[in-house]
Amino acid sequence: MYETISIEEINKPAVALINEGFVNDARSAASSRGWPGLRVVPESVPPECSDMDEIEAGVSAAMDDIIAELTKPLTAEERSPKPREVEKPSRIVFKGSLKEINHFFYKRGWTDGQPIIPPTEEDVAEMLTGTDLPADHVVAKIMPRLGKATVEKIAINAVMAGALPTYMPVLIAGVQALMDPESRFGVFEVSTGSWAPFWIINGPIRKDLHVNSGQGALSPGDIANATIGRAMGLIVKNIGGARKGIEDMGVIGNPGKYSLVIAENEEASPWEPLHVEQGFKKEDSTITVSFPNCYWQIMPYSTDDKGVLRSVTYNLIPGRTGAYWLILNPTQAKFLAHWSKKDIAGFISAHALTQVNRRPQYYGNLPDLPQDKGLLMNPHDFIPILSDPDMIRLIVAGGAGMFMGLMSGGSGMHGPITKKIKLPDNWDKLVAKYKNVVPTYMRY
Amino acid sequence: MSGQYDILSPWADADPMPLKGISPRVINLTGKKIGLYATTKRAPKPILTVVEKKFKEIFPTSEISWYLSTQHYADLQIEGKNKAQFEEWVKGVDAVVTAVGD
Repeated sequence: MYETISIEEINKPAVALINEGFVNDARSAASSRGWPGLRVVPESVPPECSDMDEIEAGVSAAMDDIIAELTKPLTAEERSPKPREVEKPSRIVFKGSLKEINHFFYKRGWTDGQPIIPPTEEDVAEMLTGTDLPADHVVAKIMPRLGKATVEKIAINAVMAGALPTYMPVLIAGVQALMDPESRFGVFEVSTGSWAPFWIINGPIRKDLHVNSGQGALSPGDIANATIGRAMGLIVKNIGGARKGIEDMGVIGNPGKYSLVIAENEEASPWEPLHVEQGFKKEDSTITVSFPNCYWQIMPYSTDDKGVLRSVTYNLIPGRTGAYWLILNPTQAKFLAHWSKKDIAGFISAHALTQVNRRPQYYGNLPDLPQDKGLLMNPHDFIPILSDPDMIRLIVAGGAGMFMGLMSGGSGMHGPITKKIKLPDNWDKLVAKYKNVVPTYMRY
Repeated sequence: MSGQYDILSPWADADPMPLKGISPRVINLTGKKIGLYATTKRAPKPILTVVEKKFKEIFPTSEISWYLSTQHYADLQIEGKNKAQFEEWVKGVDAVVTAVGD
């Protein structure tokens, strides 16, 4: 839609051909940019279609509408749209029991489907102790709706997610990371590819908050890992206005959108941690975001260094695009300690090959990627899966055992986005207050 | 569980966006230069190829002009490296059909 808006901004009549399943999304996008009257023609061509018969049929059926939308005189409303009456929920939006509140919030589309903690004035005030910023400070305006992410709205969504006040600085930095113009968040949050924000926490704050970097770090059971990602999801939905099936058009969806948060096990890593690679000091605390949409786990074919790396190499998928995160467990990190991160990425990139006809580009998809040259090659020739070793990033996390993790998917324009987490003056006191919120499992 | 709670709204305010009206339409497409804008996705080019064919059948004196975006994430307001070229193309046509591919 943004292309069509750019054309109308130059005072030329335009019409957007949109698959009929994406009309709501298109209208939200147009309205959010101030163009509620943008003309759209729904068509029935299947998304990403490569079948010319289907295309011919879908376009033929839409042709009269295309001509009409380019020629039909404007209505008064199209010429000069009037502001729509938008409901503005009052600050105190509901009074009721826990169950009634949960039903009310769910029916308003303000939850992720899980029960929420009611954001009472008192709990939100406690959440606000996690930052020195004033409650009405606007951290960012979040796409697509450009909703104002005030510190208070972030705190309300954090309470709903079950977060602790000590997570506020992380959430604020997370909002800043999403809204970094280089993050491509505006595309990933609503894309059909169901990209989920993957949050990596580095620096001393990992320990203060007990963000799990060890055994089962990505499994449920740790309040920080579970609620930081959950709060960010609610922030994206309730502040940014990206609702599933309306603006967020992920086709299959992604359980990672509930929460995908990990800390790097910097102590077990023989390499400099991610945030130092990203230009921060080791003593800084940071949050990094990228947007994978696949996660798989691999048992190394053998446990020597090259065996580990070959296992990664042979499990890169020819049909995937975008960046990879390699999550090595501490044992594997030890095996590979004499390699640099750059050499590891170089080895994988050099050895991950596939035949030309196994790449999507061979069939005319994703034509802008360098492998487009493959169209001129013998379909059975081998080419690299990755166009650049920098597409592989590496962290150390996980526990005992030999599985490693691979995530693939989207990243910012120049890689993942990292932001420094700024702590309030009373940080040590605050940490002391909540540090004992940890599970203690009884033996049986 | 049976307590009553006053609950704050999680839904954020947004500044009202200045609303803009769309451009006047062309009265008749006969003899006009029609622009076809395709994103980098797979489907727009074949979709607009069919649109071109149909336009030529219905308006044989019309001229067709293509713009194939080379930017994978084609939000021109953010990634404006081809902005000048794009704007020049838009100014040179009378009306545009865009296709995203989904």
